[in-house]
Amino acid sequence: MVGKGGLTRKSKAASEIPSSSLADMAFLLLIFFMVTTVFRQEADRDVVFPDAEATQRLEEPRKDILNVYMERDGGIFINDRMTAPDQVSSVIGPISADVRGLVVMLRSDRDVPYYLVDQVLKELQAAGAYRVAFYTNLEQRMLRERR
Amino acid sequence: MALMKKKNRPSGEIPTSSMADIAFLLLVFFLVTTVFDEQRGLRMVLPEADSEVEVSQRNVLHILIQPNGVVHVRRGEAPAVQQTTPAAIGDIWRQEFANNENLIASVKTSPQAPYRYMVDVLDQLQAARAERIALGILEE
Repeated sequence: MVGKGGLTRKSKAASEIPSSSLADMAFLLLIFFMVTTVFRQEADRDVVFPDAEATQRLEEPRKDILNVYMERDGGIFINDRMTAPDQVSSVIGPISADVRGLVVMLRSDRDVPYYLVDQVLKELQAAGAYRVAFYTNLEQRMLRERR
Repeated sequence: MALMKKKNRPSGEIPTSSMADIAFLLLVFFLVTTVFDEQRGLRMVLPEADSEVEVSQRNVLHILIQPNGVVHVRRGEAPAVQQTTPAAIGDIWRQEFANNENLIASVKTSPQAPYRYMVDVLDQLQAARAERIALGILEE
């Protein structure tokens, strides 16, 4: 009976953390993140956004936000499809009627001449999409003063 | 001899001890490579189409953005034009708004001016808590 530490060894509780279920937990997490990830529907465009100090985050759910891209040469892209400036209202009109609280996110290049932006804004008004946002990068005050 | 033979027999099971490491490695990889697409910007609410509102000239601050980024500020009907930069608009607005609480900022941008000058001015106005802003195009 009194062997090598025979008495003290009687406690059967394992001194190690059980690692056999660790893999299951890790895969479960992995699958959870994979399932909850929502992919961007649109391809990236070659657009440089303007900076703004007053940049705010939009609290609207993603499905209520429609991105309208404007490239430097004036190309307008809605849902990855190039749209002529005078066609914008006919594309957005049905969406605006369908989605309550639609916000049109105008992702326009910083060097686009303003008459194109004005044209798009007028088209949005005609389509009944009154809530818009101009996509900007947050500008830090410190950086601004140094310039 | 019999004992030696037993030692060489490969295990019949897939080794699972490193499975957790592999899974966590995948998890960390995806966490690190994920880029969140934040929705942010300057909000505006456009007026309804064809809804013209008569506004007294006394309550209008005209902000006229020129193609080269110079901003002309005109107060109501006064003919005096102040030349300034987009960065100075915030202070001008605060001053004018302190004198007149019904003030409306009428931002008119030249057709050829880059979009970023309009955003700079809009940024200054929003940072100065201006709520009544009208956007338009500058007719020559």
